[in-house]
Parts: sequence; C-alpha cells; structure tokens
Amino acid sequence: MQPTGMLGEDGIHVDMNHLKTGEVNLGTSIMAINFRDGVILGADSRTTTGAYIANRVTDKLTQVHDTIWCCRSGSAADTQAVADIVHYHLGMYGITNDEPPTTQTAAAMFQELCYDNKDQLTAGMIIAGYDGRHGGQVYSIPLGGSLHKQPYAIGGSGSTYIYGYCDANWKDNMTEAEGVNFVKGALQEAIKWDGSSGGVIRMVVLTAKGANRHLYLPDQQYEGPGMN
Amino acid sequence: MASVFAGAPPNGAPGYSFAQTPTAAPAGIREHSFYPYTDNGGSTLGISGADFSILAGDTRSTSGYSINTRYAPKLFKIGGEGPESKGARIVLSVVGFAADGEALKERLDTIVKMYKYQHGKPMSVAACAQRLSHILYGKRFFPYYVTAILGGLDEEGKGALYSYDPVGSYEREQCRAAGAAASLIMPFLDNQVNFKNQYIPGSGEGHALQQRVPEPLPRKDVEELVKDAFTSAVERHIEVGDGLQMMIITKDGIEEIYEELKKD
Amino acid sequence: MPGFDFSNHNRNAALHAQGVPLPKATSTGTTIVGCIYDGGVVIAADTRATSGPIVADKNCEKLHYIAPQIWCAGAGTAADTEFTTAIISSNLELHALSTGRKPRVVTCMTMLKQHLFRYQGHIGAYLVVAGVDPTGAHLFTVHAHGSTDKLPYVTMGSGSLAAMSVFETQWKSALSKDDAVKLCADAIQAGIFNDLGSGSNVDVCVITAEKTTLMRNYITPNVRESKARNYRFKRGTTAVLNEKVITREEISKYVTVHELDEQSVAGVGEVMDVDS
Repeated sequence: MQPTGMLGEDGIHVDMNHLKTGEVNLGTSIMAINFRDGVILGADSRTTTGAYIANRVTDKLTQVHDTIWCCRSGSAADTQAVADIVHYHLGMYGITNDEPPTTQTAAAMFQELCYDNKDQLTAGMIIAGYDGRHGGQVYSIPLGGSLHKQPYAIGGSGSTYIYGYCDANWKDNMTEAEGVNFVKGALQEAIKWDGSSGGVIRMVVLTAKGANRHLYLPDQQYEGPGMN
Repeated sequence: MASVFAGAPPNGAPGYSFAQTPTAAPAGIREHSFYPYTDNGGSTLGISGADFSILAGDTRSTSGYSINTRYAPKLFKIGGEGPESKGARIVLSVVGFAADGEALKERLDTIVKMYKYQHGKPMSVAACAQRLSHILYGKRFFPYYVTAILGGLDEEGKGALYSYDPVGSYEREQCRAAGAAASLIMPFLDNQVNFKNQYIPGSGEGHALQQRVPEPLPRKDVEELVKDAFTSAVERHIEVGDGLQMMIITKDGIEEIYEELKKD
Repeated sequence: MPGFDFSNHNRNAALHAQGVPLPKATSTGTTIVGCIYDGGVVIAADTRATSGPIVADKNCEKLHYIAPQIWCAGAGTAADTEFTTAIISSNLELHALSTGRKPRVVTCMTMLKQHLFRYQGHIGAYLVVAGVDPTGAHLFTVHAHGSTDKLPYVTMGSGSLAAMSVFETQWKSALSKDDAVKLCADAIQAGIFNDLGSGSNVDVCVITAEKTTLMRNYITPNVRESKARNYRFKRGTTAVLNEKVITREEISKYVTVHELDEQSVAGVGEVMDVDS
C-alpha cells in the first residue's frame, strides 16, 4: 500500500481510499457550536459498512471528561480507539492535578494522537467542551492532524452540503434554544442530502451546569422528544 | 467518509477544491472494464442407459451468497412443439451463466425446429450434437459461458449423451457431471457407473485382479444414483440445492420428475 | 517470544509474488445474532463452516465460551474467532482472579476491541459479545478492525442482512425469554435459508443472572434424508498390492507400548462427530 499522505506539487493529498474493505465507517454529519452559555455538539446516527447500515442509532458524541466531549467521523475503529485513549489520559489528568482538564488540553491530546499517527488513522474529530477558565470552546481536528479553534465546526461527509446553510445562519452569542435550532436545522439538511448520513439527531449541550443530552427522531419530524 | 477536510475528491469523483485536487492522473494503470458474465452456480449431470438417457439438474440459481430463485430449470426440451415442447426427443442441460444458457437453448431449439420443417423428419441426436458444437464454436472469442450436456436416443434406440466445453469441444459419453459440484459428483459417477477402482473379488492377486466391467445400468438404479449424487452435492456445495429436476428420454417420450432438495 | 511467528513472511511473500496462491482459511459465511430481553440476553448462530463454495463443516460450533456468564458468537475467519475468544477468555479469567470480582461484559468487549485494533483488521474476527454481570445484561458487536456497537438486537456475518430483516420487522421492547429465543432462532433460520454462506442447524445460548443455558442444535431443520442406494462394497473390491502384518509383539520394536486395562482408560471427553 502506498503511503496515505503524499506531498505533491499542489499540497498534501490524503488518500481516503485506504480504508480497508469491510471497515466500519462513520458516514457522518457532525458539528459543534459555541453559544452564549457554552457549547452544543450534534451528530447524525448512521454507521455503514459499504451500502449496509451497520447501526442506525449510533452515538457519535463521545464523552472524554465531565464536560469535554467529541464528535467522531471517519473509521469507527480508529476514532473509538483515539477517544478511549484520550478518555483515559484526561481521567488521569483530572485525578493527578486535582482539577479538571481544560478543553484545550483535551484538544491537544487528540491532536498529538491524530498527527503522530496520521499515516495509520482515518479520524476526523471535533472536540468541544466547557471549562471554568475559558467557558465553551470548539476545536476541529481534520484528517492531517492539524488543530483549529473555531466559533463552530462541521465535519463528516454530510458537512459538504451545509457550508452555505451554516454560513448564512450563523450568529455569535446565540441563546440555547437558538443554538439547538441552528444545529438541528443544519444536520437536517446534511441528512437530507447526504446518503451516508441519517437516522436520529443526537445533541449534547455543555454549560456550567454540566452535560445535557438531546434526541430528535425522524418519525417526529426531528421535533422531539428533545432533552432527556 | 470523513473526506470533508481532505480536499481530495471521494473515490475519484470530481474535486471542488482546486488547491488540493490532484491535477495529474494517479500513478498506475486504472482499468475500466465491463464484464458481461455471471456464474449462477448449480450443477447438472447426465447418464445414458441401454434404451434411455437421464439428464438432471438442481433448480437453484445463485449470485454470490444470494439465491436469485429456488426454481430456475437448467433442463430444456429441444425441438418440440408449442409451449409444452410436445413431441421433443432431445434434452439440453446448461449450467454456468444462466442467460447464455437460455440464449443457447433458444438457438438450438429454433434450429432443430427449422430442420424438421425443412426436411420433414426430426433431427437425429448425433446431428443435433454436432450442430450444438458448431454453435458454441461460432462464439469462440466471446463464448457462451456454459457447460452443456445433450441427451437423447441414437438411431439404434440406445441412450445417447454428449458433453461439451464452453467453446464446442464435445464427445459422446456414458455419464458426465457439470457445473459447480462437478468435481464432487464426477468421481462418484466414475465409480458407480463405470465401476472405476472396482475389482472383481477373488479374480486374481494384486495387479492381476480383474477390473469390474461396466454394463448399462437399469433405469431404477440410475435414477437412484442421480438422487444420491444430488443429495450428497447439496450437503457439501453451497450453490446446489432447492430442487432436483430430472428428464428421462425413452422411446415413449420425455418423462419429467421433480423432487425437493434441501433449501439451506 | 510471545505472539505471532512471522519467520515465514519473506518466503511466503516471494512465493506469492511468483503466483502461488494464499492458503484458503475456513471462514466468513455465517449468521450470528443476539438480542436482549427483560432479565437476560440471548445469542444464536448457524452451524455451517465454508471454504469457498465448499461446506467444510456441517455442524461446527460458533458460540464460544468466554466466562460462565459471558459468551461470544463468532463470524469471519474460523481460526481467528476461535483463538481471539480463547485468549480473551484466558485473560479475563486472570483479571477476575486478580480483582476478586466477576468479570464484566464491558471489560471483555474492551479487551477484544483493543486486541483486534492492535492487529488493524488482519485478525478477521467479527464477534457478538453477550453476557450478564453485576451491572446487568449487555450485548455488543465487535468488528475485526476494533470498532464496537451497543444495541438491543444485533446481527453479523454474511447472513446478517437476512437476520436483521427479521429483527427489524418482529422486534419489540419488553420481550419474554421465550420470545427472545424464538426471535433469535427465526433470525438465524432466515440466514440459513436465504444466505448461501449459512446453513444446517441453529445453536442458541441464553444467559440470565442465575445461569447460562447452551442449547446446541436447538433447531435442526436440515437433516439429511437417507440415501436411495446402499454403497457397501463387497470385500475384495479394492486391489491389495502388498500386505505386511505387524503383530502385537513386534510393535514394541517401533513404539513404546503401554497396556491399559478397561477401567484405567480415561473417560472420553467429547466424541468427535463424523458423517455416518
């Protein structure tokens, strides 16, 4: 097999076809946004092996610390392994320093793993968290392993369809309800147009009060049941 | 696919990021091919007797690990009249690519019918067998992807059986198995029909032992051998099963028997 | 050195380059399923093992023991599912001994995924992990590359689509034990009859907080009918080209002989099943 990252005349090429046949893939539409009181993470719930939906209610929003979560896209195996390792390290960090880690610390851990092992990984991740020092923060780590702090981040195959939507509808300092509506509206479009995204919409709202999960079902036109 | 941030187009689709889309073709030759053949699995066999021929085939049609249908006949009456093929005395069995099999059957059937209309007498099995060979060889460089067996009665009323390769090589034989489970069934037939590896007990010592001489088997025995061959092939080959279709050609016509086979 | 032996790698790569094909592993075609119910979990499997289009074993066991209350159904390469479950079973037992607690299903699942992830999919084991531990009944799937899913009902293997069609039409929450067993058996039968890679019998394993019940050959819908003819050959049909008799007395010249009396013969553990 050829190396997956190649430096050509016109930049780095990352070969996505190196996913081994039969590998479980997160087709995916994922995103995370900042809002007035913290951050919101959102994702669809489809996992595929080729054309087959291996899991239609996947949870792609993974907790790595109390109020630091990540959205996973790419290879299910790779992203789970990376998230598990970061989860372990953040747990140790919290105990040894007797203080919860910041979102930036978590994002740096993710970046180190994703960058150092970029030849072997297919992992596109968005990290979002709330900490007492910086409030809500959103980081994106695309395939090459670079780290970007952003007001909001979108990712996965479905995100290509919603750059326009997000750009047109984005506002700084939204309320929680506005934020939830923004994420839901964007993911609905992504699911509608992207064949490898689908199922339910899952969300996690991270504020000073902690983590809150939301669920929106397609058979209720993504209206409910909402927070749980 | 998480190709969003990669910039490279997914699976060679057109890319929209000019900065990162590869401008040159990827290294190595990329071949775009069209492959018109499919293997539909299944097995057939034929045995000729003193005054009859039997052809048999399972009725399962497969592609990959899927079953297309549990009843797709591989046996066709050739040269008969009407949808029931009344008056036919020749049977063609085809296994391999079902669509080619069907096309081959249609061609041969038409030819045998035309022969009867033009000559006022039915085509002999020997003539039909040679014609089939020519049809197959006619597509030497785009073959019918099938193994055919032709059965009937020769001009002396004896059972006649002809087997073919996909490009028309043929010979008259006592028995032949074809298709997916041919390698499982053929040794069984060699042993049970032609008595290969069977010696006459007490007829000599060591190499001097006499080979058991093959003789035409009675119809009942042959039918039982066919059934056992197929029930055994079903046990060990995944593409064989569902149903067993048999056609017995005698001077009185073609008798058709259908039996269930295991469906797993 | 622990782990795999790669000493033949260069030789095999050279042979492969010269066109020698890779050896065929018995594998793939399989239907395995699992389903959680109120009070426990059920897993089930078919019993066909294939090597290409040939049935290698008509009645193999795809339900593997991990711990008394944790069992695994395996699809993929037969050897990989066998050895992967065996090594995790062993390590989980040691873990249970060192912690002094009953092993948990998540622990088992985590050990499996980390083992499989390390080998980057080269170990072709696709597993359904099920069990009951002090935290309740659990059901997971583990793919060869190391990804896992947690669901109330799962299917894997080449017959997974056929089996899933049964679950997606028949499954409901709040199943009884008998309902769950029936549902799993039906799902396996869908695989047996509609997927060529699956066949023969249905094995079921029910795990509750109290006990584990393995129902080997729970349903046998594919019993072979008796043959139409008798294939016993007359004695003397096979040519004897030469004959050499080694007597009991002479045999000790070749091997060490221990005479055993009837009672001292160790009880036969498991009789290998062979075709009649």
